Amino acid sequence: MKQKAPLGADLVIPALAAAFGAYFFFSIADLAWEAKANGVVIGAILLVLVLAQLVRIGLRIRAGGADLGFEALISPRDALPKRVGLVLITIAFIATMHWLGVTLGMLLALFASLWILGVRSRKALVLVPLAVAACVYLLFVAALQSDIPHGPVEWLLEKLFP
Amino acid sequence: MSWEFLLDQFATQFGLWWVIWPAILLGIVVGILPGFSPQNTLIMLLPLTLAVPVEQAMAFMIALYCANHLAGGIPAILVRIPGSGGAAATTLDGYPMTQKGQAQQALVLCFTASVFGGLITTLATLALLPWLSQLGLYLRSVEMVIVMLFGLTLIAVIAAKDTLKGLIAGFFGLLIGVIGTDHIYNTPRATFGFLELYDGVPLVPALIGLFAISEALVMLEEKMIVDEAGRKRALQARWADTVEGLRMSLQKWWHIVWTAFVGLFIGIVPGAGASIASFVAYQQSRLWSKNPEAYGTGVPEGVIAPESANNGVTSGTLVPTLALGVPGGSTAAVMMIVLQYHGMVMGPRLFATDPGVAYGVFVSMAVAYIFMIFTILPLARYMSRVVLFETSYLAPIIILVTIVAAFGERQYLFDMALALVFGVIGYIAHKTSYHVTAMLIGILLGPLFEQYLVRALRLSEGNLLILFSSPLGNVLWGLLVLSLVLPLWRGYRQKKPLPREED
Repeated sequence: MKQKAPLGADLVIPALAAAFGAYFFFSIADLAWEAKANGVVIGAILLVLVLAQLVRIGLRIRAGGADLGFEALISPRDALPKRVGLVLITIAFIATMHWLGVTLGMLLALFASLWILGVRSRKALVLVPLAVAACVYLLFVAALQSDIPHGPVEWLLEKLFP
Repeated sequence: MSWEFLLDQFATQFGLWWVIWPAILLGIVVGILPGFSPQNTLIMLLPLTLAVPVEQAMAFMIALYCANHLAGGIPAILVRIPGSGGAAATTLDGYPMTQKGQAQQALVLCFTASVFGGLITTLATLALLPWLSQLGLYLRSVEMVIVMLFGLTLIAVIAAKDTLKGLIAGFFGLLIGVIGTDHIYNTPRATFGFLELYDGVPLVPALIGLFAISEALVMLEEKMIVDEAGRKRALQARWADTVEGLRMSLQKWWHIVWTAFVGLFIGIVPGAGASIASFVAYQQSRLWSKNPEAYGTGVPEGVIAPESANNGVTSGTLVPTLALGVPGGSTAAVMMIVLQYHGMVMGPRLFATDPGVAYGVFVSMAVAYIFMIFTILPLARYMSRVVLFETSYLAPIIILVTIVAAFGERQYLFDMALALVFGVIGYIAHKTSYHVTAMLIGILLGPLFEQYLVRALRLSEGNLLILFSSPLGNVLWGLLVLSLVLPLWRGYRQKKPLPREED
């Protein structure tokens, strides 16, 4: 039996675009025409394009050549937990940066990322995060002196090398 | 543009050797990595390029960009894995040369074609720039609206595999680009209640998310960027006869010249990048060859044509970026963001207000190519081993370092979260073939598009028919419609069953 193309994933971007278009129209409803002209022109074209994509996918499903599966988005399945884990670690990295600072945060986040991606070599688990965190410190804190959140490592190094 | 000015520019750029050389080395290293494009590298290095003076930033970015284009051919020749889309056509004859034991000759052909192809087209662009830069003066608000729509459409039609998906991505990006307060009344639109979005969507986090983070998330699907056979082949890569390769390049000098111009002309068209240029050049080289059946078995012309065109694109892509403010590709978009960050206004005025930057970009490119030939020949053998990195190390480093880079532009933690959101959107777009370059260019053009559209509509008191009032504009509309209709018609012709013989 011929396998059907999973086209459900193809609807995610159009759905996001349509939802954003609708929100855009809602947010400009009461504004002067100059403020909404551009949104109306682009939004209207975008909605027409999304509609055309919906019709195209609908026709393919009706013809029996496709279904609403999401396989394209989640395949290969063994990479999915790694991917989700990496995104969650990145969220945690951003959320805790105020307390940990960029250097310690990077060290811990990279250690955790390497661990969930299957790296078990102790040498690699220690050296790679240390090297990257050191580069980030040297570039962003020491060289560029950006306002990126400082934590215990930055404060300690500031005391040691004023 | 006087000779004194030009010589002064060359002297200045040669003086920036300490910026250009590290950029070349870095460009070569990352160019060898498949799926690691120049724009990703430039995005990762944005904190650096935004912090230094604009001349140094441009010299660095240009050298890295050109070296990256060149280095994509190394893994394409050695292990049949193109380092970039532009090097995909190089595998067709480059790898068979390696199989025949001519890896070194193929590498030298690739380097000389890239360097001299890039150098020739850069000098040609520099000579024609006074005329090309005037192009923008003939384009008013009405024409600019159509030019932007045309550029976006071309990207959707040429670069994306599926035109409709490319258009959806482009217009979605264009609408995202309108987020923020409007130009006239400063009223917020679609900001989701975030004060950080009142100034519009920051471009750096959008770039980082759509390209670097999304690609790193896709990269996780494979253990290594090369398979086991490719790894073994990479370990065995050796220097052979450099002189023989140089001799072969000299014999085919005319081939380098004309295929480089194929790259230049295709590079000027927004959206038609190096991948298309190298395949067109390869196809043309084969078409005009006396020995077309030998292509694919390891002929020098099959390496020269795509590599020369691949680097001919580098100067072409920057022409619409500087002269019109419409980036010719994603790397040009990154460069444009850096220039805008430094207060440069793209378009014909740039050549009058900041000629040092406008012309300096191309002079810098020529100087980078001159430095490159002396750098690349002795280094290629060792650099090719970069393909041996595992994705379990590469992906988290890319994601976490680029997330930190997202902080650089405005110093908001919000921008790091925004980069991650764009990363997830980019990942979905990648996996479902909605073109992220079209989306990015949409975001980039959004505010400018609004500015021109509102200006045109204010002239006509809100009448949209003004968009069809200019002869030049109407020609552009015609081309836009043609660019949309022709692929559909061609697709219809290909699907149509051939008539039976008895019919």
